[in-house]
Amino acid sequence: MSVSVLRNYPHSEPKSLLAGGLAILVHLIFIALLMFGLNWKDHPPEGMIVDIWTELPKPIVQEPVKTQPPPKQPKPVQEAKPKPEPPKPEPAKPEAAKAVTPPVKKPDIALKEKPEPVKKETKPDLEEQKKKEQEKLKEQERVKELEKQKELEKKKELEKQKELEKQKELEKQKEIEKQKELEKQKELQKQKEKEQAAQRQREQEAKARKEAEAQRAAQQAAARNQITSEIGKYKALILAKIRSRIVMPPDLPGNPVAEFSVTLLPGGDILDARLSRSSGHAAFDSAVERAIFLSKPLPLPPDPSLFNEFRNLNIKVHYLE
Amino acid sequence: MSTTVTQDMSFLHLITGASVLVQLVMLILVMISLLSWWYIFRKLFVIRNEINKTDEFEDVFWRGADLNSLYQRTTNSRYVSGSMERIFAAGFNEFNKHPIGSDLDAVMESTRRAMRATYQREMDYLESHLSFLATVGSVSPYIGLLGTVWGIMNSFRSLSSVTQATIAHVAPGIAEALIATAMGLFAAIPAVVAYNRYASRTDQLATRFESFMEELSNVLQRRAAQ
Repeated sequence: MSVSVLRNYPHSEPKSLLAGGLAILVHLIFIALLMFGLNWKDHPPEGMIVDIWTELPKPIVQEPVKTQPPPKQPKPVQEAKPKPEPPKPEPAKPEAAKAVTPPVKKPDIALKEKPEPVKKETKPDLEEQKKKEQEKLKEQERVKELEKQKELEKKKELEKQKELEKQKELEKQKEIEKQKELEKQKELQKQKEKEQAAQRQREQEAKARKEAEAQRAAQQAAARNQITSEIGKYKALILAKIRSRIVMPPDLPGNPVAEFSVTLLPGGDILDARLSRSSGHAAFDSAVERAIFLSKPLPLPPDPSLFNEFRNLNIKVHYLE
Repeated sequence: MSTTVTQDMSFLHLITGASVLVQLVMLILVMISLLSWWYIFRKLFVIRNEINKTDEFEDVFWRGADLNSLYQRTTNSRYVSGSMERIFAAGFNEFNKHPIGSDLDAVMESTRRAMRATYQREMDYLESHLSFLATVGSVSPYIGLLGTVWGIMNSFRSLSSVTQATIAHVAPGIAEALIATAMGLFAAIPAVVAYNRYASRTDQLATRFESFMEELSNVLQRRAAQ
């Protein structure tokens, strides 16, 4: 009975509702993370908007220019307009002032001129007036004389000054001329010095050239000497080698000489050997020819530039040494 | 849908902008994820509760309590009793049903059968829904992948009608589609972890129950022999 009771009562699952709540909570957290995460990554798309801004800047730049200048431009415009306007009034005012002031001045002058005669006329005594006039005239004459004298003095002074100036100018000219002369002298001296230096240089150069030429000549001579000596040495070597190979025919009379023109190849090989002058004894000639062909390769100097000297050799072989 | 290049890449826009099948996949995955998390927490509580009760009962049992009083306590608290208590109750009940003096082997055999039957039921209870977690862990990535593939297919198909293809034409569709994969993985990873953990825990409990059954049958046999 109790077993059946136990079997019929399954487990009362603990906290199954709590589990459901927790599951939902987990998902809410996850969704929140996703939302915030993706919204947080939403800013790069704003970077895309920034890309659009790169297209917009032109209008934006223009707009700011338009919007900012309006404060600026209106001011200049307003200022500029007022400026032209004031000038108009200003010219008008000067004209008015001129128009007004000259009449004012002229009356003043007229008034001033008139009062003086009036004052003169007021003085009754003619004699006194005459005296005064005479005195005035005298004074005027005196003044004129004084002025003349002054003018003369001034003229004299001016003349003196002019003379002095002329003298000064002359002196200056003289000084200038002296300076010029000095400069010319200096230039001449400099030219002379330069010429001297140039001559020295030329002389030195000539000396150097001469020395160099001499050295070169000496070197060339030495080289030539060396070359000639080397050529001679090798010619002697060739001759010695040929002589060593000659099987001398016995008992030839006198000292016959056989001459051969030998054509050589680089390396000492003999291309050709012709009898250019016979010794008169066929046995000796043939012996020398055999010796020449036996002695190849002929000794040649190691310098290949000297080979031209050996290309066509003229070999003289004496029967007796 | 995906032909319109949406600058708004927020989460809700991506979901609402997805194609119907992708949305369906997302819905399924959300429900699976909810269910699996519900089971994860349920099994967490159940198994933890079971382990606690088993520890408690073993402690009481091996302290040498009277079997009859233990049986009484188990039948009284039958709604909250643990699996080991039930096994004990089933075995003890079956053992007492036999009259004194009957064949000991037959008594012990029937007792063991009764305990084994209860043990099977209890293990079935403990392992219930674990197979669901295993299924979620293995299948939901594929469901998510299906949604992703479908979404990417759609976004590329919409690309074919555009002469100048830019990444902006494809990116929203792919982002939508990838949400499905993310959901699938979100459902799968905890399910797999929970399945492995709970399976090992239930295995441990099963060995404890089996050893207890053997020990209890020994105890009952000695009691019958006396």
